[in-house]
Amino acid sequence: MRIGSAAQFGPVARGFVIGGVLAWAFVTLFPFYWTFVTSFKNLRIIVGGPTYFPFIDFQPSVHGWVELFTGVRGNMFKNLANSTIVGVSAAVVATLFGTMAAYALARYRFRVPLLAGLAFAVIAIGGYVALTELGMGRFGAISLAFAVALATSIVLGNLKLPGPLLGNEDIIFWFISQRMFPPIVSAFALFLLYSEFGKAGFKMTDTYLGLTLCYVAFSLPIVVWLMRDFFEALPPEVEEAAIVDDVPVWRIFLQIVLPMVMPGLAATFMITLAFVWNEYLFALFLTNTQWQTLPILVASQISQRGDEWWALSTAALTAIVPMMLVVWLLGRLMRSGLMLGSIK
Amino acid sequence: MTQVTLENVSKSFNETVVISDFNLAIENKEFVVLVGPSGCGKTTTLRMIAGLEQASGGVIRFGERDVTGLRPGKRNCAMVFQNYALYPHMTVAQNITYGMRVRGAPEAEVKEALANAARILDLEPYLDRLPKKLSGGQRQRVAIGRALVRKPDVYLFDEPLSNLDAKLRIEMRVEIRDLHRRLGTTIVYVTHDQVEAMTMADRVVVMNEGRIEQAADPITLYREPANLFVAGFIGAPSMNFLPGAISQGTFTGADGCSFPIPPQRLASGTDCAKAVCGVRPEHILAEASGPAKVKQKVKVVEPLGPHTLQVGMVGDVQFTAQVPAARKVSPDDVVELGLDLDELHFFDAATGKVLPKGS
Repeated sequence: MRIGSAAQFGPVARGFVIGGVLAWAFVTLFPFYWTFVTSFKNLRIIVGGPTYFPFIDFQPSVHGWVELFTGVRGNMFKNLANSTIVGVSAAVVATLFGTMAAYALARYRFRVPLLAGLAFAVIAIGGYVALTELGMGRFGAISLAFAVALATSIVLGNLKLPGPLLGNEDIIFWFISQRMFPPIVSAFALFLLYSEFGKAGFKMTDTYLGLTLCYVAFSLPIVVWLMRDFFEALPPEVEEAAIVDDVPVWRIFLQIVLPMVMPGLAATFMITLAFVWNEYLFALFLTNTQWQTLPILVASQISQRGDEWWALSTAALTAIVPMMLVVWLLGRLMRSGLMLGSIK
Repeated sequence: MTQVTLENVSKSFNETVVISDFNLAIENKEFVVLVGPSGCGKTTTLRMIAGLEQASGGVIRFGERDVTGLRPGKRNCAMVFQNYALYPHMTVAQNITYGMRVRGAPEAEVKEALANAARILDLEPYLDRLPKKLSGGQRQRVAIGRALVRKPDVYLFDEPLSNLDAKLRIEMRVEIRDLHRRLGTTIVYVTHDQVEAMTMADRVVVMNEGRIEQAADPITLYREPANLFVAGFIGAPSMNFLPGAISQGTFTGADGCSFPIPPQRLASGTDCAKAVCGVRPEHILAEASGPAKVKQKVKVVEPLGPHTLQVGMVGDVQFTAQVPAARKVSPDDVVELGLDLDELHFFDAATGKVLPKGS
């Protein structure tokens, strides 16, 4: 939808608008440029005061890039590969399951008794405490308590229980609430949980599975929240037309609904991928040597031998460029207008 | 190609009753239009027939088949929506054949059905286009094409023409009517536009507040409205209602008019202290010569070409008269209008029902 064009403003107003846009472009682009030129500087140039233009006010050197690619400052290729593998798998899994959950929340009405939710909490926490008091191992206790709690709450959820009923909005709020506290709150708990898994024989810290699962869990709320809005913006008649035409639900979802929300899906995937790609805290807690990601590599450039800005800049650029490529690739999918023609 | 029967069907959303005790038998090959003001339950009724809403009570039958609990896909009906509801990422051909392919119809059959639908609906040049490249009328024809290839027992139309402009609407009205004649299938059609209802239907079902006010063919609805609601809803401009009283075969209006009622319009001996006399604008006589006369204070004059509408007040009620185009009237004139005694309707103001007619 076009609201207006720049032509409807007077020349002065237009000048202000263009000036404002250029100023903002400078604010956002200058750090990127600064990082780029800094990556071609060495110690002598950097301590000699600010310089801005390669070949004009300083002689560029590629030693920062050579160090990066030869692995002098940590194995960049390995961290890049880790970030890519973990980032793409977490984003794919979270988008896949989050999208399905969001569709269900947008199109079906859920009624869950509050008591069923409370029962889950009481049985899971109480069961764990009781079982460990009885001398059971922590891993066994938490697995058993969780399984029993889940089964009980599913059964209770389908019964007519007294007390308030939780609807779709409450479920959405529960999803979002998981992102309302600072991640550090759960980072310790997650680390302890993973350690217990490790003691029981399932190594979770510093593994592909452990890191990916953690990122999936933290991305799901955002995916559900974003995708539900996209689904709710769709006219239900298109799906109803397919329902009347005897099209099975899974085909409606895959062949009709998903193509219609493709821009939203691409944007959501992008946001999820960017979150996982840039995530630092969990990567710091949950990995050490095998599955370190790029943000850890970038940060470690400062700690090793003082502030070596050229090294930091090369690492930062390595982390930025792949995401720019992804945005460029997915950007064309995000263009709106796919719904045109379906309804008036 | 089947009858549709609704027996004691009701629908409530949470505590709100939308439809109560709805009974309607739609004949095989009948074109039935459900019409009424918005919120009267006509779309809900249609959606219950389609299965998109579950009836809270009662039975819905297609022929002998009880479909009340059946999911929409298994009922074998086809639905056309107000907003077309096309699949935006599929071409016209894919839109029309998607359902058939999903149901696993053989390729030859799919091709034949597509060619047939495209020919009937004049869509042949557009089969490879996306819906966004089509005009509103073409989009609605694609939606109808999607319904055609379903070969349904019953077609359901939910205000299919409301999004089209006036000229196209009249063309599509004719097209759908013609399609019905050629296909010979049962059609249930929902609209809020009484002109659409009158022009298209074999039988019009006038609904109000979840009830059927009257179900009859268009001419009967027009000539013999069963109550004040139908009398006011059917016909444009609306019927005029003069309050008054009936005593010993004479109507005395609140504005002071008084005239004897012809025996064929009212059963003899019917007295009613609070009655309403209904007269359509087109049944105002050019010459106020008869005994039935009212004085109208004109407010607005609307020349339409073939005739002129004179909108004003008779006593305290709004009154519209259709007069010959040649007549010169200005706002604020007080004119005497004659009523056609043979076209008057008399209602009981308390119940809203029409008073019994004489023979």
